[in-house]
Amino acid sequence: MSEGGSRGDLLELSGIDTFYGPAQVHFAMNLEVRRGQIVCLLGGNASGKSTTMKVILGLVKPRAGTVRFDGQDITGLSTPAIIARGIGSVPEARRLFGAMTVRENLLMGAYTRRDRAEVNHDYDRMLGLFPRVAQRINNRAGTLSGGEQQMVAMARALMGRPRLICMDEPTMGLSPLYVDRVLELIAAINKEGVSVFMVEQNASLALQIAHHGYVLRTGVIALSGPAGELARDPRIRDAYLGGERTAA
Amino acid sequence: MGAWLDYTINGLIVGNIYALLAVGLALIFGVSHLINFAQGSIYTAGAFIGWTCAQRLGTPLPVTMAAVVLGCAALGVVIERVGLRPLAGSARIAPLLATIGISFVLDQGLQLLYSPDPRSLPSPLPAWRIQVGRGTIGALDILIAATGLVSAAVLFGFLRFSRLGWAVRATAQDSEAARQMGVNTDAVNRTVFAIAAGLGGLSGLLVGMYYNHIDTAMSFQATLKGVVAQVIGGMGNVPGAIAGSLLLGLTESYGVALFGSSYRNLFAFVLLLIVLVLRPNGLFAGRQAMSPEPLTGTFIAPSRPWDVPRWAVAVCVLLAALLPFLPNSAYALQVLTNAWLYALLAISLTLVAGTLGQVSLGHAGLLLIGAYASALLALDSGLPVWLSIPAAGFVTAALGTALTWPAFRLRSHYVSIATLGIGEIVGLVILNWESLTHGPMGVTGVPPLTAGTVELDSPQASYWVALAVLVLLGLMQSRLLGTHLGRTFRAIRDDDVAARACGVSLDRYKGLAFAVSGFAAGISGAISAHLYSYINNETFTSQVSVLALTMVILGGMGNVLGAVIGAVALTGLPEVFRFTAEYRQLIYGLVLLLMIRFRPQGILGTA
Repeated sequence: MSEGGSRGDLLELSGIDTFYGPAQVHFAMNLEVRRGQIVCLLGGNASGKSTTMKVILGLVKPRAGTVRFDGQDITGLSTPAIIARGIGSVPEARRLFGAMTVRENLLMGAYTRRDRAEVNHDYDRMLGLFPRVAQRINNRAGTLSGGEQQMVAMARALMGRPRLICMDEPTMGLSPLYVDRVLELIAAINKEGVSVFMVEQNASLALQIAHHGYVLRTGVIALSGPAGELARDPRIRDAYLGGERTAA
Repeated sequence: MGAWLDYTINGLIVGNIYALLAVGLALIFGVSHLINFAQGSIYTAGAFIGWTCAQRLGTPLPVTMAAVVLGCAALGVVIERVGLRPLAGSARIAPLLATIGISFVLDQGLQLLYSPDPRSLPSPLPAWRIQVGRGTIGALDILIAATGLVSAAVLFGFLRFSRLGWAVRATAQDSEAARQMGVNTDAVNRTVFAIAAGLGGLSGLLVGMYYNHIDTAMSFQATLKGVVAQVIGGMGNVPGAIAGSLLLGLTESYGVALFGSSYRNLFAFVLLLIVLVLRPNGLFAGRQAMSPEPLTGTFIAPSRPWDVPRWAVAVCVLLAALLPFLPNSAYALQVLTNAWLYALLAISLTLVAGTLGQVSLGHAGLLLIGAYASALLALDSGLPVWLSIPAAGFVTAALGTALTWPAFRLRSHYVSIATLGIGEIVGLVILNWESLTHGPMGVTGVPPLTAGTVELDSPQASYWVALAVLVLLGLMQSRLLGTHLGRTFRAIRDDDVAARACGVSLDRYKGLAFAVSGFAAGISGAISAHLYSYINNETFTSQVSVLALTMVILGGMGNVLGAVIGAVALTGLPEVFRFTAEYRQLIYGLVLLLMIRFRPQGILGTA
């Protein structure tokens, strides 16, 4: 425990091998998220980014390697047990409960919590943090626009009072206006002390707000380093992220 | 007028009973996209738990009801844990078939425990009736209505206001996202099964008291009615299930009022088909799109089939053909003749269920059409038997395809439900169309097998006829699988959207497959009719459809040789081991469950 704490790693993946049937997705992957940081995992299609997220959340079990959260091994735990330990999830494509109201969606985010008064407090706090969500609070989540849904998904994840929040492509499919808004919010959430692990295809955007970045290529971490260095690294621009063509 | 009010009241009461069944089915479908075919068996179990409490232990009614709810809820939890949870992540058809297996096991278990004799379950309520307009309402009617209303209200409150209720709704909408909110979806499944089983059991108890009659054979009809009500309301839609149940109850009640009680089920299944074809999302779904069904190969487990060398098959056929020359083979011949006829049915089913991927549960209807066509052609039109049998094959191909045609636009579970309904409708039409089919009396004196002037009614001759037809049609079907047509069928199974994008007309190919399938099934039914010499509308019931599907799964979906092996195993083995008829269903159920769990691709593998 103290070992993990002293190094400041909140999340630590080591030696992860993952398979889908006979196809190997991850090859001895190592990855850390330090306490209080925003860490982004970059990579193209089929690089294994989303599977990394699933491994952390316990939706996919690795064949080898361990996932440690706050110094404790969570590799074999069920998804609900992992969530209960303080990890929040903003899934790919948001995955709101479309037939439930926005309010019900937010409260589902606090499903594992029993401290009712505190939940109500957090609920009010979310309405303050996401005024757009507050306006739509009694609408069915499925009727919201993509950007609004992304806000709800983030607020829903925060309702669990996570120490680490995992986001799978939070800017995917959003209008440019909402992309900026979402990035600002991620930075704001992080300032309040929540560590962030995000998977992104849009490298230049993600590196703007991240502290540290990893580049995943066909299941292997090909590059890693502080976000500022990665953003300037020509290898990133050329080899892994498609150069100028996709930037911004 | 008074009579109409009575029929309305009766319809609403029966509708309430259906609602108790259908709500549970809707909850389960919502959470796990599974049609629980064991629901009717739980309903029967509820009736018998109630009987035990009321008649043996002499408990008062509230205690009886509580015992039924708790006992059945526990049963539901066990079913979920033992029968279904191990199948999480397997092909989508697997849990549906598992519930069919579970229902066989439960029904047979109850029959062994209580004997198949019907029992009376008198209502302990006072016998007064209130006059309402010109109709009357009794105490039991009020109890049933109150039970329905209270259950609906409690369920609504649970789903709307409780933490677990929210988890149920969230899981129904997106179970993976619900897990990421920390919802234990296993617990949700367990809860839903407990609620569904508790309500289903209560329904059985109330029905038993309403008709003052319970027996162990009432499960299947109860499942069907619950499923029909749920489809009318929209699969997985809980309020819809209640509305659908009331509508079904009223439709049946008015149908009975107009045409007589033998029309009750006909109305139910025709309503089912109409809704499936016109509003597959149910009457209350609005313009919502049909929920995405599995696209590629997830409905049936793919595998590499076992390659059995041709000479081995030829040797087996030769040995089978020589069997009648052995002394003392009469009993074996009788069993195997039956097996060959079942094998014909199985290769017919394996073409549509396995090769084409349309899991039909209505093949008993095809058998009935074939049997009646041949019998009536031979008896009433004087056609010689050797002509009436192939003619029956063509009649079945044409009629069967025409009847299933409305189901062609449906996919996966919906196909199974629709074909099940169609199979039931065939039996009910035969029952009610007296001028053509002799109605409930059945057809007696069906002439024995002949070819020209040669009598073929000896056990040896019947055996050879069945074997020869099986070999002929089996060879033809094997050849067909290797052709362009066979490949097209498999393409439709694996991804019908992609097949359509390649220019394949789904309707045309489905029609062709059902026609080929109908021909073989019709021949099987026709030969059976001439061997039995007496047939009626219950000669082949939906249980036969399910048995045929078990054979197909046992052998490997789509695998012709596998279908034959499955048929021989399931008709022959119980004879070899001299199991009594009582245990047979139990064995079928267990075989189905074990195969789905441990070898879903069947003995020879899916082809």
